[in-house]
Amino acid sequence: MGTRGGWAALRRRSLSFFLDWLAWGYIAYTVMYLLNHYWYTVYVDWYGTLKLPSWGWPLVVLGTLELAVWSRALGRSLGLRAFGLEVTCPSLGRRILRAFLWHVSVLPLGIGVWLGRGEPWHDRLAGTRVRAVPKEPERPGRRALATQWGAMAAVLLVLTLWLGWLIIGINLQVLGRRAPWAAGIWRQMLRPDFRYFLESDPAFALRNLPFSILDLMVVTIFMAFLATVLGAAVAFPLSFFGARNIMGFSPVGWAVYGLTRGFFNVFRSIETILWAVVFAVWVGFGTFAGVLALTIHTIAALGKLYSEQVEGVSPGPLEAVWAAGGSRWQVVRYAVLPQVVPSFWAFTLYRWDINVRMATVIALVGGGGIGDMLFYYKNLSDWPKVGAVVMVIVAVVWTMDYLSGRLRERIT
Amino acid sequence: MANPYLVVENLTKVYERGQVVALRDLSFSVEKGEFLVVIGLSGSGKSTLLRCINRLVEPTKGKIYLDGVDVTRLSSARMRRVRRRIGMIFQQFNLIDRSTAIGNVLTGRLGYTPAWRALLGWFSKADRDRALANLERVGLRDKAYVRADQLSGGQRQRVGIARALMQEPELLLADEPVSALDPATSHSVMQYLEQMNREDGVTVLASLHFLSLARRYGTRIIALKDGQLVFDGPPGAIDDTRFKEIYGEEAEEVEVR
Repeated sequence: MGTRGGWAALRRRSLSFFLDWLAWGYIAYTVMYLLNHYWYTVYVDWYGTLKLPSWGWPLVVLGTLELAVWSRALGRSLGLRAFGLEVTCPSLGRRILRAFLWHVSVLPLGIGVWLGRGEPWHDRLAGTRVRAVPKEPERPGRRALATQWGAMAAVLLVLTLWLGWLIIGINLQVLGRRAPWAAGIWRQMLRPDFRYFLESDPAFALRNLPFSILDLMVVTIFMAFLATVLGAAVAFPLSFFGARNIMGFSPVGWAVYGLTRGFFNVFRSIETILWAVVFAVWVGFGTFAGVLALTIHTIAALGKLYSEQVEGVSPGPLEAVWAAGGSRWQVVRYAVLPQVVPSFWAFTLYRWDINVRMATVIALVGGGGIGDMLFYYKNLSDWPKVGAVVMVIVAVVWTMDYLSGRLRERIT
Repeated sequence: MANPYLVVENLTKVYERGQVVALRDLSFSVEKGEFLVVIGLSGSGKSTLLRCINRLVEPTKGKIYLDGVDVTRLSSARMRRVRRRIGMIFQQFNLIDRSTAIGNVLTGRLGYTPAWRALLGWFSKADRDRALANLERVGLRDKAYVRADQLSGGQRQRVGIARALMQEPELLLADEPVSALDPATSHSVMQYLEQMNREDGVTVLASLHFLSLARRYGTRIIALKDGQLVFDGPPGAIDDTRFKEIYGEEAEEVEVR
């Protein structure tokens, strides 16, 4: 062989082999972590650097390698399943023979693979073959072994959950033990102190200005409103540059499309809270930093949603405007816009919801708003006042949610 | 001797994906005022042919002369000016569902509207009057301010005709205008096309599925099979043998009355 197809097939089976090896390696690591955690037999520090004796590492590498080879020989391993491969199975004996031969054929620098030209020595001698799973399965061989990959996947899942439980430090005892203490706080919060709802708290000031809960709540709503409007205004024109069916006619168009989509994806994946940190450093603590953070995330998030809507329009009306002698901008204005405007409104209103919720907590990192007051009282452990602020937040968020939901219903 | 109005010379279209040949070396010409019907099975290249003429689909090879001008060589700006004179109606009507009938009809005028007016949606009084007159002509004056998705199939196609009328076209391309309609509505729509052809002198190129409709309305018929011309002649000349050639041995003719 030695053809292109031969090399592609070889690459596929090598990748599937490495996946198996990786899976066994992961199991070995997890088991060592668990052993360390429960019995202290192997030392693993908390971020997972293994401290093994000098002979330990080769042992792990070789051990997992053996496990990978034998799991592939004796059944359908995870790697074979993932890459849609199977080993033809004349008999169990042949497959065991194949696993032994593998050591002779592959371990000496893969000599049997290179000289075997698409059909490595161990396959030739054992009379087996690795092939893509045929469309109509006539599945030879043992059923129990053939489904081995399922068991492997289940083990991986269970070990990962177990490990995750330990790493995260889930502790149900603490949850129970301290419940009464937490209930005390809850009880205080449920007897809210609305003394400073209208009147400003003399002890609390931002930049030497006094604020009441209502004042700050209004400020927070303004923040969300401003960020939504500004963000939508910028995202709207940008979204057309991020739509394939508008831009995909020339190399320049593709470049602009790629840049716009890249911008959306990168800026959207940085959470609003992180943007608030950036802007709090840049322009100082306060609502300005908060609005900037909300706006930039709104641009990226809405831009992506808008672009996808533009890409999803039905092409018929576009064709009609082209046919009538319309220009590209006329096509956008008369065939694309009418189709996307309702969903643009719906997304904007939904984003407005999100921004109200984000604006209430953004003060945690210096973004300003009602959160300033919330965290001030929290730090004083003044739970009745925390309760009052939380209740106002809940009432406002719930109202905004309801209103935007009703508006969205009417639009679409 | 004057050249024919529309000349198609060695037109070939190959779709890049999958190397599908939609049209093979197609040549024919159309005189001004003809009602030319294109027939053929689905996938025989009828839609591609019509779309090559106004270059909604870019031809791979060959020339198309409209009034002596080779449209395949025009820049996109000059192509737009040519497209203004070519009306088009579609199988799926291609209306904006959320827009009113008159809003849809007015888009037929975009080729004549200055960019800034179009951007703001300010169509001139003359255009609005013309739109109402054209809706009147297709019997939909009372539906002018009804949203397009509230209209029936036949009404939607008539809005499509009114939109094409806005262009005051010399040539009308009708891509299976009645395939989505029932027989009775089909005739009413076809009669509007016939009227445009007879009264306004618009040259019509219509692709149709049913031979009975082609016979009834066409002044000439061309037939496509696998992107090639297999028949060109008067409607009466298609007999049973010809029919089998075009549609294949197993085909049975279906009447639309």
